[in-house]
Amino acid sequence: MSTDQAPKALGIKVDNVSKLYYPAAQEPVEALRPIRLDINPGAFVAIIGPSGCGKSTLLNLMAGFEKPTAGSLYAGSQRIEGPDPDRGMVFQQYALFPWLTVRENVAFGLKLAGVREGERHDRADEYLALVGLKDFANAMPSALSGGMKQRAALARAFCTDSSIILMDEPFGALDALTRGFLQQELLRIWQEHRKTVVLVTHSVQEALFLANRVIVMTHRPGRIKRDEAIELSYPRDPMTEAFRQLEYSILSDLQEELHAAHGVVSAQPTQ
Amino acid sequence: MVQVAGLDPQPAYLTKKPVNSLSSQRHGGGIHEEYSMNALRQSVRGSLPYFAAIVGIVLIWQAVVVVTQPSPMLLPSPALVTSTLAELFTSGELFVHAGFSLGRVLAAWLLAVAIAIPLGLAQGSSPIVERFLDPVVELFRPISPLAWIPLAILWFGIGESGKVFVIFIATFFPILLNTVSGVKSVDPVLIRAGQVLGCRTQLKLFRHVILPAAMPSIMVGLRISFGTGWAAIIAAELVAANKGLGFLIADGMEILRSDRVLAGMIIIGVLGVLIDTAFRLFGKKMRREEYQ
Repeated sequence: MSTDQAPKALGIKVDNVSKLYYPAAQEPVEALRPIRLDINPGAFVAIIGPSGCGKSTLLNLMAGFEKPTAGSLYAGSQRIEGPDPDRGMVFQQYALFPWLTVRENVAFGLKLAGVREGERHDRADEYLALVGLKDFANAMPSALSGGMKQRAALARAFCTDSSIILMDEPFGALDALTRGFLQQELLRIWQEHRKTVVLVTHSVQEALFLANRVIVMTHRPGRIKRDEAIELSYPRDPMTEAFRQLEYSILSDLQEELHAAHGVVSAQPTQ
Repeated sequence: MVQVAGLDPQPAYLTKKPVNSLSSQRHGGGIHEEYSMNALRQSVRGSLPYFAAIVGIVLIWQAVVVVTQPSPMLLPSPALVTSTLAELFTSGELFVHAGFSLGRVLAAWLLAVAIAIPLGLAQGSSPIVERFLDPVVELFRPISPLAWIPLAILWFGIGESGKVFVIFIATFFPILLNTVSGVKSVDPVLIRAGQVLGCRTQLKLFRHVILPAAMPSIMVGLRISFGTGWAAIIAAELVAANKGLGFLIADGMEILRSDRVLAGMIIIGVLGVLIDTAFRLFGKKMRREEYQ
């Protein structure tokens, strides 16, 4: 790549963060119970947990979309007060701007950073080439398939030159084949650019395939149940014994949480 | 390069051809010929039902005239109305009246655009403004713009400003309401995407995300409002004017020339359709693609 800035990455520090929601005329909901978490610069962390465990809440807190009820979060040494282009995000719904071409979408962050049109389009094209969308630079997002949209969204997040990239189940809406392909591409881009990546997922395989650290959360209120450094070398093969053992052990942790959550749910009458 | 529709060898996005043949393409050229050919073909195909409707109406009209033999003062034949239309056209009278009506609507509409769009943007994005403005809007909205005509005459007399005032009221609410709903229905995930991509201020978010996302809805408001304005100007001119299409048909009634009344009505209808079509084409061109 000709974008030859020194690889920059920031760590994330989650310092005793809890989050309560106050739905109108109802009991407050405890989404996160005080959480401490230190993410190293350049790490690829996967957060996994049963649905409704607060993993997306945690990600939204890191992005600055929501404010913690107590505690604070830091990106590097900077306290997180709100959304910032230094913390990019890839959304499950792609979130491409439908009125812009694919190239304009990818260059959007650079445009707001004040980069000249020629330069930002050149850089957008580099990232489009990286995700295999070079020929679609002038297409409108509506002309792309789901997988292609998410590739464009990946290019946009990495092109914006954030030091942290947050991903909220980015491949959740894609078919298995496309998902596997995009996982490989994401791994390749991350290895090339070494940004800090935090990925929320509900797939153990995805977490183990990509991340060098996997965090398993409990059912609501979310706490950290397990924090596992994954030392398997890349590229990882889901068929190896080590991979499968880890997968099995994390799955059974999740199973435990699922049962616990179910116990709580089934004790109450369903609406 | 002219292609037969339906025989494209490649998907639209590979040939740099607009996905929608009426939308324009920002990057890449050499498509104008094809673009205009497709546009022509589409507009011809699109206007066929109109021609069928016109033929049907004229046939029924002629049949009624033949069967009931009414006095031409009450119901003239299609032939007589056609010759009256031709007369209005050649004498230039048509252009004077249509010009006055259009000018009034345009002036009032532009005024409404200038006020309703900023107000709608504010109301759509600020709950506080919404709380104050919404009750006012809801109270005024059910009052037909025509109900303002008596007040307009009292306040402004029968000059231009009274009519502009009535049309302003008629065009204001459709623009406002569509702008508000456009802003409110912006996908929240696009706003978040805008924020993490560098829209640090509300103003930047507005300019780069909210406004373009709300644009299709705003365009609908602009189109609908011109239509309601066009309907209202005729009514306003019926009551108080000495120029304009509304005056033309009111005057036709007073001098017992129903051929002039019908000719005036036909001009009103045709112009209304033309204006609406112009807005649709412009709106499609602006969108560059289809998304709902």
